[in-house]
Amino acid sequence: MLASWMEKRFKWIVTLPALLFVLVMMAFPIAYTLRLSFFEWSMSAASPPKWVGLDNYIALFKDGRFWHALGATAYFSFGALAAETVLGVAIALLLHREFRGRGLAKTIFLLPMVATPVAMGLVWVLIYEPTNGIFNALLQAIGLKPLHWLGSIGQVIPSLMVIDIWQWTPMICLIVMAGLTTLPQEPYESADVDGASRLQKLWYITLPLLRPTILTAVMLRLIDVIKTFDIIYATTQGGPGTASETLNIYGYVLAFQYFKLGLASSLLVVFFLLVMGLTLALIVVRRNTEVSS
Amino acid sequence: MKKRNAFARLLSNTATWLVLFVFSFPFIWMVMASFKTQVQIQSPGNFFWFRPTGRNYAEVFNQYHFFKYMINSFIVAIGSTLASLLLGLPAAYGIARYRLNGLGLTILAARIIPGISFLIPWFIIFNSLGLVDTYTALILSHMLVGLPFVIWIMISYFEALPHEIEEAGAIDGCGKMKVFLRIVLPISGPGVMTASLMSIIFSWNNFMFSIILAGEKTKTLPIAIFNFLSYSEVNWGGLMAAACIITLPVLVIALAAQKFIINGLAAGAVKG
Amino acid sequence: MKRIKNRLGACLPALLAVALTAGCGSGGGSGASPSSSEGAAQPFKGKKITFYVANHPWAETIKELLPEFEAQTGMKVEIQGFAEDQLSQKLSVQLTTRASDPDVFMTRPLQEGRQFYKNGWYEPLDGYVEKDKAEIDFEDFSKSALDTTTVDGKLLSIPIISEQEVLYYRKDLLEKANLQVPKTLDELEAAIQKVHDPDNGVYGFVARGQTAVLVTQVSSFVFSEGGDFMQGDKATVNTPEAVKGFSRYGRWLKDYGPPGVLNFSWPQAMGVFAQGKAAFYTDASAIYKNAVDPEKSTVAENVGFASFPAGSAGAKPYSITSWALGMNAQSDNKDAVWAFIKWATGKEVMLKTQQGGNPGVRNSVWNDPEGVKGFPAELVEVIRESSKVGVGHDRPLVVNVGEARDIIGEIVIQAILGEDVQAAADKANQAFQALIDGEK
Repeated sequence: MLASWMEKRFKWIVTLPALLFVLVMMAFPIAYTLRLSFFEWSMSAASPPKWVGLDNYIALFKDGRFWHALGATAYFSFGALAAETVLGVAIALLLHREFRGRGLAKTIFLLPMVATPVAMGLVWVLIYEPTNGIFNALLQAIGLKPLHWLGSIGQVIPSLMVIDIWQWTPMICLIVMAGLTTLPQEPYESADVDGASRLQKLWYITLPLLRPTILTAVMLRLIDVIKTFDIIYATTQGGPGTASETLNIYGYVLAFQYFKLGLASSLLVVFFLLVMGLTLALIVVRRNTEVSS
Repeated sequence: MKKRNAFARLLSNTATWLVLFVFSFPFIWMVMASFKTQVQIQSPGNFFWFRPTGRNYAEVFNQYHFFKYMINSFIVAIGSTLASLLLGLPAAYGIARYRLNGLGLTILAARIIPGISFLIPWFIIFNSLGLVDTYTALILSHMLVGLPFVIWIMISYFEALPHEIEEAGAIDGCGKMKVFLRIVLPISGPGVMTASLMSIIFSWNNFMFSIILAGEKTKTLPIAIFNFLSYSEVNWGGLMAAACIITLPVLVIALAAQKFIINGLAAGAVKG
Repeated sequence: MKRIKNRLGACLPALLAVALTAGCGSGGGSGASPSSSEGAAQPFKGKKITFYVANHPWAETIKELLPEFEAQTGMKVEIQGFAEDQLSQKLSVQLTTRASDPDVFMTRPLQEGRQFYKNGWYEPLDGYVEKDKAEIDFEDFSKSALDTTTVDGKLLSIPIISEQEVLYYRKDLLEKANLQVPKTLDELEAAIQKVHDPDNGVYGFVARGQTAVLVTQVSSFVFSEGGDFMQGDKATVNTPEAVKGFSRYGRWLKDYGPPGVLNFSWPQAMGVFAQGKAAFYTDASAIYKNAVDPEKSTVAENVGFASFPAGSAGAKPYSITSWALGMNAQSDNKDAVWAFIKWATGKEVMLKTQQGGNPGVRNSVWNDPEGVKGFPAELVEVIRESSKVGVGHDRPLVVNVGEARDIIGEIVIQAILGEDVQAAADKANQAFQALIDGEK
């Protein structure tokens, strides 16, 4: 009896617990932030939040610093993501072969992702330090000019991208590697019969079959890279000036340094809608490119 | 032909180890720094030449209750991962098989919301429930980060599994639940390992939620790193040692997981 | 999954072991035996208060002395430590929800004092002080220190630590160049130019260059020209005096400073100095240990301390209260907290914390030779001098200090980049004035 009831409702039984959990945990914070975005509040216990309607949103769109943060976020995110995807897939393919020490290699490759971002941020500050750091020492040793890295308005975002690429390429690599294990053998066998080269097999079979996996990895990484906080906070706090201030950092500054909770909330709402939109687009792309086996 | 193969293999191997070296360089730097004094850490000339000292590690364990923090991080990471798997594996299966896109997106939304939005509301709720500084609050909050990840990695994985196996099970008279539990899950090893690893890593390194929801009893490792940054002194050596210690357990888990993946792969290959 | 479950099972014995031993050794490893006064002398028996502190050597000393206090009063004090920024964040989240924890906390009167006051998070301490004025010898506290923690005539927190801007310099480099210790900023500039030798790895000058954190350091430059951030309700960051101060600081970093200075907070600036790569360094007295400890500095024996040199309006370094103790307005144990604050800011304790290298705020402790033996002798003189002539603030006295610092710091960033400082100052002045007006 129970079995047949479960059979009919299977779809809901398996998905409901997760859905309920997420809704319950998200509901209050979303409502709280959304509501607060229409008020002005400095977290004061004495003076309650003041209704300002859409003023926060209007102020936000007029705020040059907001647009600058948007640009910095886009520059940092897409630059890092592009590099991570290409590198991640390439390295996954590299590590997928059989070779001695493969297990060890895969474990070592996980290291950047495993290390605590906060601690690694501080390590990178030391590595990047123009006078005392190892990078400039190496550059000078091979006769190149030392750089300012995090201390230069022009170089800071690329320097941060390097840190992000270093840290998260392994994640894309890991997801793609797991995907590689699910690839069917038949297409390759028929390709061998047809006399296809390694490169042709890669381009016409492997990559298309991997596309959904790659897109999943890209989507998961996109959401996180846009929200990058720990690394930027630990290294530059958005500086020099506001050169590396992304939307998430600006939101933190507004909330916890300027005590402008209403404005911060409106920024967070806009931020959320932005990322949601991008994710939706990616999901649509992903659904449309599924290769039927 | 043979020569070309050997050369190609040499090239691939060199590329592999080169890539590995580049990616582990900062880590190597950090490990070496953990055996240096403050003065040596900040001078590039001392990169290779220095007399190693174990003082930093001694300091970490003697002064800073690290063992307790490590246990806390362990409990929260494993707890939130297990819970995420419990809720996430069935959900991912349902979403993959029945193409429940809306549901997938809703769950993903949890990950899209910037972490800052959660801080005050969650503190309000957990404080009123008396759950601040408990493992429950930390596990629940970390689950919100891990669960969407588990679900989406497994969606991809389940979608790629061929339907024939499940159809065979159905023909044999297995109900949908049995198909899921007895047939699909056992061959999901690699996907589950990947998803679990990611969930553990994210929980282990989570900083923002732990600051707000943890207290003295449940303080986790990332917060403890900041013990080495005081207002008027920075203890780089201690910090490096702490960072290395923090990374170690997850590394061990990852190594163990790798072995499982390789075994799982072999089993999967036989079945497929 | 099975493997993970096995691992958890294996952890259980370890968990138990830790649980059993975790009770001992909560930072009290100094072996201080508590005075055995039982019963009647334990007025707060059974009470527990929570104390949030910043990771600070002052807090370390307090942790060591705590068992004595707990034995005397019978109360338990649970201390939780955070890095400076995290402390602020945690306090904000908890105090905004009107939580009763923490009962007492370390606070930065100049950074968050007015904001916390506006939000109603401090419990005013005037009443408590009045009651126990004689017992705590209130007159002993430095006047300027108390001024910092008093807003609108209300005493919001009790000062514990002071800080001054000092000039760190390399004795050996000065000797080699046959120079005297500079007494004016112009002399200092000349000295910097003389010893600046980047090809041999020595930069003339180093200081903080990150937007917000440099504001406190450049303040002395501005004060010493006769300028200030504001006069009453008027923003004055574009006056000739202020611009002179900003320009000088920026110019020195641009022309004589190490590369990458725009991302320098004090650890990076001190790093360059301690590696022997800079001759002169202006920063807070609090961080001196990083320069004179041979484990941390290659030039430990050659570090000299000098008072901040004079500008056209005299030598006016900042001399401020950096940290104070505040009581949570929502605390359930206010009397216990006041007893704790009295103890922690009392003469005995302040003597010990000052001996640990934390400049205190009690005149008697400063005048006591025991009280200053923890510092390098030269530094003691410098601190004494700076306290006499110093200015009681190092950042704008507004509610929204964070935003004000970002606005003002931008002026110096432009100076470091070699842009038009007056234009930047005018722009900043406008924004700063708007901020001040918005707070009225």
